[in-house]
Amino acid sequence: MRVDGPQANATNEEHVANRFDLPNLGIGLGLRTVHYGHILEHAPDVGWFEIISENYMQTEGKPLWFLDQIAERYPIVMHGVSMSIGSSDPLNWDYLREFKALRDRVGARWVSDHLCWTGIAGRNTHDLLPIPYTEEALRHVVSRVREVQDFLEAPLVIENPSTYVEFSGSTMKEWEFLRALTEQADCAILLDVNNVYVSAYNHGFDPDEYLAAIPYDRVVQFHVAGHTHNGTHIVDTHVGPVVDPVWRLLGHAHERAGGASILLEWDADIPPFPVAHAEAKKAEQWIGGVAR
Amino acid sequence: MTDRKPSPLLGGATEAFVHERASATPRNAVLEAAPAAHGTSTRPPVVASFDRLQSWFAASVTHAGLLSEGVVADGLVSRLDELERVVTRGPRLGALERLGVYHHGYRARLVECLADDYPAVQYALGTDTFEALCHGYIARHPSRSPNLNAYGQHMSAFLVEGASGVDLGTAPLAFLAGLATLEWALVEVLHAAAAPVLSLETLQSTPPDAWPSARLPRADTVRLLRLAYPVNAYFQAWRTDEAPTIPTAAASATVVYRHELTLWRLDLTPAMTALLSALFGGETLGDALAHIEREVHDAEELAEAERSVMIWFREWVAGGVFARIELPDANLEGACP
Repeated sequence: MRVDGPQANATNEEHVANRFDLPNLGIGLGLRTVHYGHILEHAPDVGWFEIISENYMQTEGKPLWFLDQIAERYPIVMHGVSMSIGSSDPLNWDYLREFKALRDRVGARWVSDHLCWTGIAGRNTHDLLPIPYTEEALRHVVSRVREVQDFLEAPLVIENPSTYVEFSGSTMKEWEFLRALTEQADCAILLDVNNVYVSAYNHGFDPDEYLAAIPYDRVVQFHVAGHTHNGTHIVDTHVGPVVDPVWRLLGHAHERAGGASILLEWDADIPPFPVAHAEAKKAEQWIGGVAR
Repeated sequence: MTDRKPSPLLGGATEAFVHERASATPRNAVLEAAPAAHGTSTRPPVVASFDRLQSWFAASVTHAGLLSEGVVADGLVSRLDELERVVTRGPRLGALERLGVYHHGYRARLVECLADDYPAVQYALGTDTFEALCHGYIARHPSRSPNLNAYGQHMSAFLVEGASGVDLGTAPLAFLAGLATLEWALVEVLHAAAAPVLSLETLQSTPPDAWPSARLPRADTVRLLRLAYPVNAYFQAWRTDEAPTIPTAAASATVVYRHELTLWRLDLTPAMTALLSALFGGETLGDALAHIEREVHDAEELAEAERSVMIWFREWVAGGVFARIELPDANLEGACP
């Protein structure tokens, strides 16, 4: 068993480049059930693990048992998919209370969710649905992010989603909306460079224009992932290795941010842990001058 | 009878039944092509409030039929050629095709979830019929939870009620419902809290004269199933790649439980079933034992029950089947030594 996980990461945490004083945990992996056994048996040298928050909510059984074991050994970050911060439904306070309790249980370093909505009228599509980028939507989401942050007593970290449609009524670009949201609500950013790449292809914008607009002092984390290219469009499937153009975007963004935690998501056809870990560590080759 | 060994389902760190939904979208989308090519819309966007737009979007992408029907169903868009006044066309795909990624993803994600919960039902029906069953289920039971852990909870009842008329071929609904009951019990037991359970030490320290009035409630990690088909035998054969065929109807009983990190399934004899059912129903041990004589009429099985009942109890207690022992004198009650 690894016994020096958190201590080993202390060096990584010395460097803080964001305005929220959230640590740079180095390179991490999304925690997946098929890897539990390997992690507990081999104690791999991974900087941190990110959990899908909802997988450990509304359960009191085996998933939490494994999470507790791993949280004793590694820093944990919570990444949610159902906060539905962009929904016109009221905030789900039962969900938020359980979310906060889980954060406190595992000592999560920070919590994140997506710039999206997942349902309306009490129904959950379990998808990350796109928001129309309008002033009305901006006011709505800013208000909700502030409310959630007040409840959590911590910054909420918002991730840019992959999207497949844009609304005709949008009056600003996604990066303009994201920047305005994070500045007005004073929240942090999880910049998913794969999502930037996917959306850029699907909508025909320049990913560098997106990256140039990001307020990097708010970026506390990056996501990288594989995707599925269908020719006419790209789907954010989190499968397979990360393509070089996405790594290149990571390198540029990471340099602009002055370093921040990096995480690989791999959610379909999940390979053995060493393969996923090796893929995550490729990030070191792309973050050049600010690599550690 | 005492050589009836429980079958482990999942042990150690390898487990199913946790729906790892990240921010990813299912692949293999078959997108519904727009009926005709459109030029870039020059007409002004449809004016709609934020919540009105979301209502339309959700209704469209969760529509059970064709997306082209869903987008015009609620009135925000009156004709398909008006769609680009709400959703733009992209560099390579029209508005309807772009929306189709969400329309496909919605059902594909939930079908994946149900296939994780009900792999044996999927085997029994075949992939295509199972998917049709899931589509009926999704239409009848849209998710109202932030996560998918309990999404499949209504499947057995859905089958009993006729599966919304979905054509399931020749498989009897009662068999499928029983199999779904077994598979859902495994999910429930996986997610149940691991509370303290009755230990062998506590059981053995209980004075013999206190036994008849003792009660032995079920642990939270245990489910007792009484079914119209031998579904656990079918499930076990499927697990071991024996390509089982659907059995004929015959009553069966199975106890499903989690002991530490392993899920177990144990088929019960009629005597075991009578005893455990009565105990889990809150009856005293004395009354529960009397159930065996009332419900079991086979002399050989009765004799076997008399010989083996203490062995059964030791095995059940070792497996963590009982939450605690409750005695009329509260001072004697205990879950742990």
